[in-house]
Amino acid sequence: MSSAALAIPAASDVPTAGEESYFTVFAGGEAFGLSVLHTQTIFRITSVTPIPLGPADIVGLVNLRGRIVTAVSLRRRLGIPVDELQNSLAIGIEHKGENFALIVDEVGDVLTLDASMKVQIPAHFDPARSRFMAGLYKVGNLLIPALNIGALFDFAN
Amino acid sequence: MDELLRDFLTETTEHIEGAETQLVHFERNPSDASLIASIFRLVHTIKGTSSFLGLERLERVGHAAESVMGMLRDGVPPTQHSVTLILAAIDRIKTIIEDIGKHGSEPPADDSEIINALEAYYAAGSEAAAAAAAAEASVKAEAPAPVSTAPEAPEQVMPEPVAAPAAPAAPAPVASAQPEAPKSQPKAEAASAQPKEQRGQGGGNGESIRVSVDTIERMMQLVSELVLSRNQLLELARHREDDSIKTPLQHLSTLTSDLQDAVMRARMQPVGRLYANLPRLVRELSTSLGKSIDLITEGADTELDRQLIEVIRDPLTHLIRNCADHGIERPDERIAKGKPERGEIRVSAAHEAGQITIDIADDGKGLDTERIKQKILAQGLATEQELRAMSNEEIYRYIFEAGFSTAQVVSNVSGRGVGMDVVRSNIEAIGGSVSLSSVEGRGSRFSMRIPLTLAIAPALIIEVAGQRFALPQTSVVEAVSLGKNYKDLIQNVQHALVLKLREEVIPAVELRNVVGLNSGADDDTNDKLAVVMRVGTESFCIIVDGVADIQEIVVKPLSASLSHLKVFSGHTILGDGSVVLILDPAGIGANLGIEKSTDKKREQARDQGALERRRLVMFRAGSGAPKVLPLSLVSRIEMVETSRIESSDGRMMVLLQGRLMPIVPISHEIDMSRSAYPVLVVATETRSIGLMADEIVDILEEKLEIQLTSANSELIGSAEIRGEAVELIDVSHFIRMADPPARGNSTPQRVLFAADEQVLRDLLCPAISACGYSLVASSIPADPNEFLQQVSSFDAVIVDADAPVFALPSFQRALKDRANASLVPLIGVSKNPTNRTTRIATEGGLAALLSRHDRQQLIETLAYTLDAAADAKTSNMEIAA
Repeated sequence: MSSAALAIPAASDVPTAGEESYFTVFAGGEAFGLSVLHTQTIFRITSVTPIPLGPADIVGLVNLRGRIVTAVSLRRRLGIPVDELQNSLAIGIEHKGENFALIVDEVGDVLTLDASMKVQIPAHFDPARSRFMAGLYKVGNLLIPALNIGALFDFAN
Repeated sequence: MDELLRDFLTETTEHIEGAETQLVHFERNPSDASLIASIFRLVHTIKGTSSFLGLERLERVGHAAESVMGMLRDGVPPTQHSVTLILAAIDRIKTIIEDIGKHGSEPPADDSEIINALEAYYAAGSEAAAAAAAAEASVKAEAPAPVSTAPEAPEQVMPEPVAAPAAPAAPAPVASAQPEAPKSQPKAEAASAQPKEQRGQGGGNGESIRVSVDTIERMMQLVSELVLSRNQLLELARHREDDSIKTPLQHLSTLTSDLQDAVMRARMQPVGRLYANLPRLVRELSTSLGKSIDLITEGADTELDRQLIEVIRDPLTHLIRNCADHGIERPDERIAKGKPERGEIRVSAAHEAGQITIDIADDGKGLDTERIKQKILAQGLATEQELRAMSNEEIYRYIFEAGFSTAQVVSNVSGRGVGMDVVRSNIEAIGGSVSLSSVEGRGSRFSMRIPLTLAIAPALIIEVAGQRFALPQTSVVEAVSLGKNYKDLIQNVQHALVLKLREEVIPAVELRNVVGLNSGADDDTNDKLAVVMRVGTESFCIIVDGVADIQEIVVKPLSASLSHLKVFSGHTILGDGSVVLILDPAGIGANLGIEKSTDKKREQARDQGALERRRLVMFRAGSGAPKVLPLSLVSRIEMVETSRIESSDGRMMVLLQGRLMPIVPISHEIDMSRSAYPVLVVATETRSIGLMADEIVDILEEKLEIQLTSANSELIGSAEIRGEAVELIDVSHFIRMADPPARGNSTPQRVLFAADEQVLRDLLCPAISACGYSLVASSIPADPNEFLQQVSSFDAVIVDADAPVFALPSFQRALKDRANASLVPLIGVSKNPTNRTTRIATEGGLAALLSRHDRQQLIETLAYTLDAAADAKTSNMEIAA
């Protein structure tokens, strides 16, 4: 996909101070950065158990090799319509001792982002979206938002 | 937190648990120097490690305590005061450790008071002052003073082999460990002396490593997955012809099961862990209550899920406190009662049928049933009538009701803050139960039944709107198939559903509405099920589409982001690998607005008696139509083994819950070679009696309309239920048989039953003897004088008036002319007495002529005529005088 157009360092590169490696993930045709430090595994979801009365963005529960993980749809989180859950690609993420699976459309390559590439999140971004962004990075001629894991998996409200 | 610090904390907590027990034992057995040596070592290790980690407060307190303990180790006799000081120091160490656990560092605080007290004692001791002087000095030193101890240079600490917490579990015979111990010396003391020995040996056989709970949990998950994969493989192999795969697969299968077992075992910990704090608790209770109490612990090696151990800790402490507080009498009372001066609290754990039972028994005064009854009445929890029908055990159950203060019931000591209801709810929360038995003057016993593990629980896998949920079986009472009777059983009243089940009206709810799964297709024709659940004292039911399965599930708590969903308590992975949510009955109940109110429930139960349809027990007894009995009369149904039935004085008895219950067979055709009989326990005003049936057929709810009344006193009449004729039993008849009315004279009145016909004797004799008469059955002699001779030695005679000999004129004349007619009444029974025959009979010297089928009338007449005869006798004697 368009990820090929990005300037992507090799995965083996050890990020130096201020640098961090990010997966590019796609939802509804848009690219996002997801810190590799958080991700544990990437897998395909075969069956989901819906949670009645649960938060709408939580798709359900998934058995990931004997561990029950809470599946969250990135599309739903961002307000993009969801069509098919079966066989979706998910990224296993541990956050505050809880196991989550973030369902995305596709996973691209790894990017190394550092603080110098960070730009201010424009004020006119929809707060419903900007609250899930940890920052906006300029990669070549593209602007890639890094996902805020804390906000993504916070269902307090 | 620093890994090193974390390790230190867990290790130290265990060390302290060990030290406490040993200290109390040491105080009782000061001659056992090896005990103090081991305690000294523990404190020394704590002190050393804390100085190494820079934990100053810990180190100072440890140092001061160590000095005093060093004195004791070197032969200074321990006193109450020194032990109290050391315990206080260990308490302080514990508090500091807890704080470190919370904050990650030592919170600043002043320990000078305790350090000074310890140092003063040490100073006094090293000057070889008398123990009394030492005590006084330390009391003075109680006042805060500046800290004077300088931290000691860090010591090199050799880490001791970590004694597994399992160590106290090692069973050891009392005698060998402590030969000088008195008879009542707890076994556990010997057991807890064990770790010391093991430590001394340097951990040869009992080696263990510390594994984090998370690791075990992960292993559990993986093993579950492995089991799942194995099942899939087995399924695949079943459809193949290839045999070569079967043997290794079989092997894999066994290994997997063994592995699962082994991992499960790793979660288990010995109950002995719970016992560690108890000697200290009992010691403190004895001191503060002024009673001498021995603690005996048994079954320390019984294993239990570690999670559960923590849950039971508080209830156990509370129950022991209760025993010490309310159970055990003061020493002077005990001596006055002829009991040993020292009271005894016995805590025993055992593994029983997939459950753990922990009994807490004392040899104190037991429960005052009368006072509990008064309290029940005062609080309106039950009526006097209901109370009379209750066994003691049922009455004790009220102690666990919320707001039922045991303190006021059993003694005046109160203010503990925790009631027995908390104990019960804690235990019930983990799927266990608690009960109480007591013998007045002899002591009481609490029994906690606890599931082996929290992690695995049997659950119903139910289905609603195409989704499966797990429902813990512990709270499920029954599942009622609604089927085509949906409209009859479930009624929509005021926009709320109710289930009409037997006599009860139970709040009901469609689960699909609770969980918000309205799939649109609302087909009532489906075979739905109503699952009745009980939460606390409340019942309610959920309507589901079906029960798919019953499975043992591994319960996992909901993650934080879902924990706000009160109707679910967790989730689990089923055997087929799918994830299901576990329904929380309490949450659903709360959702329905069901409060925990006992009063309301009781009122309801009473009102429901007015319902037209009655709940009936249908059973078979002997040949003939099935019999029925209103369930309201039956307090419970028990299977009683024939071997337990004893015969005394011609009546059958069984010992049930410590009381003798008379057993009355409904049919006379009893086969004592059968191993057991169902017994319907019926409560009378004074006690319970058991009606022995052949088999229980059903419990049904029907309108009962007597269509044929019966002349037979056993039966009220016959009715038609579901197209079948049934006989309604007259319970009062059987109660009379079991419980003859009390009579003034202690010697039973002698009654002669004279009849040639064996059938007649069989028919009537049991009923008469059941009334407490001493009955002799004989045939009627042909010679009237011989008969009269016989008659004169009885108080009353029942005679078969249809017997051919009666028709003889000589016989009639003899009867008519007999002198003692007023003193020994003669009652005739006949197949078919008419007015005419009755008149002839009474003119012919009989007191009455009755139908042989009317036992009731016979018994009443017998009682009446006997009374009249007794009156006649007394007046005769008066005349003679």
